[in-house]
Amino acid sequence: MLRITAQKSLAGAKVSPKHLFPIFSRSSTDVAKKPEKIEVFIDDKPVLVEPGTTVLQAAALVGVEIPRFCYHERLAVAGNCRMCLVEVEKSPKPVAACAMPVMKGWRIKTDSEMTRKAREGVMEFLLVNHPLDCPICDQGGECDLQDQSMAFGSDRSRFTDIDFSGKRAVEDKDIGPLIKTIMTRCIHCTRCIRFASEVAGIDDLGTTGRGSDMQVGTYVEKFFLSELSGNVIDLCPVGALTSKPYSFTARPWETRKTDSIDVLDAVGSNIVVCTRTGDVLRILPRINEDINEEWLSDKSRFAYDGLKRQRLVTPMLRDACGELKPVDWEAALLGVGKVLKAAGGNITAVAGGLADAEALVALKDLVNKLGSEAVCIENSFPLDGSGTDLRSSYLLNNKIAPAEEADLVLLIGTNPRLEAPLLNSRIRKGYVHNETEIAVIGPKIDLRYDYIHLGEDPSIIRQIENGQHAFVKKLKSAKKPLVILGSDTLSRSDGAAILSSVQSLSRGLQDEMCDPEWKVLNILHKVANQVAALDIGYTPDLSKICESSPKVLYLLGADDCGITRADLPDGCFIVYQGHHGDQGASIADAVLPGIAYTEKQATYVNTEGRAQQTLVAVTPPGLAREDWKIIRALSEIVGAKLPYDSLEEIRYRLEEVAPHLTRYGCAEAANYFCEALELGKKTNAPIDTSPLDVKQKTLEDFYMTDVISRASPTMAKCVAAVQKQNLSKY
Amino acid sequence: MASQAVRGGARQVKPLLSLDNEEARKRALNLYKAWYRQLPYIVRQYDIPKSVEQCRQRLREEFKKHECLTDVRVIDMLIIKGQMELKETVHVWKQKGHIMSYFKPTAEPKPTDFLSKFLQGVN
Repeated sequence: MLRITAQKSLAGAKVSPKHLFPIFSRSSTDVAKKPEKIEVFIDDKPVLVEPGTTVLQAAALVGVEIPRFCYHERLAVAGNCRMCLVEVEKSPKPVAACAMPVMKGWRIKTDSEMTRKAREGVMEFLLVNHPLDCPICDQGGECDLQDQSMAFGSDRSRFTDIDFSGKRAVEDKDIGPLIKTIMTRCIHCTRCIRFASEVAGIDDLGTTGRGSDMQVGTYVEKFFLSELSGNVIDLCPVGALTSKPYSFTARPWETRKTDSIDVLDAVGSNIVVCTRTGDVLRILPRINEDINEEWLSDKSRFAYDGLKRQRLVTPMLRDACGELKPVDWEAALLGVGKVLKAAGGNITAVAGGLADAEALVALKDLVNKLGSEAVCIENSFPLDGSGTDLRSSYLLNNKIAPAEEADLVLLIGTNPRLEAPLLNSRIRKGYVHNETEIAVIGPKIDLRYDYIHLGEDPSIIRQIENGQHAFVKKLKSAKKPLVILGSDTLSRSDGAAILSSVQSLSRGLQDEMCDPEWKVLNILHKVANQVAALDIGYTPDLSKICESSPKVLYLLGADDCGITRADLPDGCFIVYQGHHGDQGASIADAVLPGIAYTEKQATYVNTEGRAQQTLVAVTPPGLAREDWKIIRALSEIVGAKLPYDSLEEIRYRLEEVAPHLTRYGCAEAANYFCEALELGKKTNAPIDTSPLDVKQKTLEDFYMTDVISRASPTMAKCVAAVQKQNLSKY
Repeated sequence: MASQAVRGGARQVKPLLSLDNEEARKRALNLYKAWYRQLPYIVRQYDIPKSVEQCRQRLREEFKKHECLTDVRVIDMLIIKGQMELKETVHVWKQKGHIMSYFKPTAEPKPTDFLSKFLQGVN
């Protein structure tokens, strides 16, 4: 498995300085001796750069963009496309800007006769073996080769195939249900190979043959299966790797792009939703250095076809025969209103992971107004000690981006690779470039990096806490340790004991930290809006619902809580509000159709406590209405009118409840770590002996985890592909 | 200035048609009768889904609408407009839709409160 250790990279291994720069610069700030900056001239413009900067980066500093195919700032330098050749004064040959570090006093000419001729030559060579199928190529309009041949290529062709022997042709590969390959278009930039081995940690892609016989592929017939595989589509500068679900669908200039937030995991990746005529055609990542860099997990990228299937499009009420019958909004609201009124205060609301903050606060206000305090979330959390009162006990306190700087990561009962693929890519980045050590307490899983497996027994946590375990020595010597606790662990019956144990173990490490900004204790959630629900004041005591025998159970997008009719008392009326017909809708007596994340402007808070908002990309289907508006309308019918009519007004209410919910883009840090620990200590519960477990163990479990991805045919194909791959001999 | 104001107060306005209220009343009645007699032909000619009786009621409503007017010039102007309308109708310069527009369609007022907006799906 690829691992570039710090020693190796210092010794001059070719690693993009972008990777190493932040990691080393932060640790070396104390070292007073800073290398002197050197002056170079880009097109006669002087610029001062750090030694080791490449020509291409120096040029970027003065705003000169050098054309490139193989170079990518987040991947190692390959230097094989030769498109970035530039002239350096007094150098007999042009140099490859992406790989050549600048020397003092160099005069680089990015637009000289020699440079232009070199580019023209490279373009000509590339185009000799590139098919002329732009009209039927999915990359058309966003193709680097197209753009650069227009900008830097020759204006006439010397390609005359007098023997009609045809251009070079390469067999297409079948690398899974997500990526379509047309390998004849490949220009051998090797970005996909580097991405697979460096970022995704899957060394399946590679090259065979040399010269014009070179091919990029998987050596043997094998799928390229990774939770991050879709990113190679964005990386491919030509149309060799394109999206299978999106193939022959649209041209980039026809689609409308809306900035939004992904809600299929708790990371809150920033996305762009491309739509045309009311259809979501594809989802692309949007750069956010604090969260997803420029990557996106496959579930977030490809599950959008689930938004068109299994949708609830009309309100429904269960009739006398026990069948759900479509009704209009008036009838539905009156029907539900009548039951709510009759229930007195005996109402329980359960919110699912996809519910937005506006709907959450509206539902809580309504339920409270009707005289009930029972609003809870699907996943249970320990309530002993401070419970969810202090944010530090349920946030990824150290944020996502700094995870790559950690030198020791302890994962407890979590599988970040499948629960938060982009956090895992950060940990892997640290592993590859920063010699991060990773230890796991929990089941043995494939994380795509080596780790020390401490065992599955939760008592190991207590041993570490008390300093009896051998691993303590490593933890103590670590400068930037990170403890990540999975939410699966917290929903165990002994979750409180584990949490308090982990809190105290983190506290011990935290006290020795010199950097006060570094937070050792981190909780990793699995669903999008868990943090917002807890911030608003939802309680995680689902088990108490059945005991309290409610007359009305209001499910706000709650499909994974596992409540069945049998758990509830007879005559309990179940209202389901959500956008997909799944578990919740099937047991409901009344269905109120809400809308999905691409259709509303709504607030989501990710696992690190960062509030972000989705924007409206398409109109909702059928009679579906915005979730908070349904609750607001219902409140008027019931006679407990909620005092907000517009988005501004409900956002104002959000701000009253928790001001950080409307500070979009900012991650509100938590505090009171000590207090949370002290309160937690009071519980003093024992830890079970049952081994720690995670729900998502293999890649199969990754694809279908929520209502949207369960309704998505593409995700089903992915699961089938993984199963097929498991049967294959490779 | 003062003399001007006094002169202005007593100034005679130029009549449009009628010299006094009585004359204006006669003209109004004449116009009403003219329309009244024309109505059966209008109903037939334009093939509107209204009976003569409904039209007469509508005609009466239209005249009653201006019952309270006292200014002779305003009344005269309305009479002139009414005659023009009648002429256009008689000569079939209008079309069916123009006649039907006298019977205002029952346009529902746009919802203003949250709940009716929600039920109609306009917000």
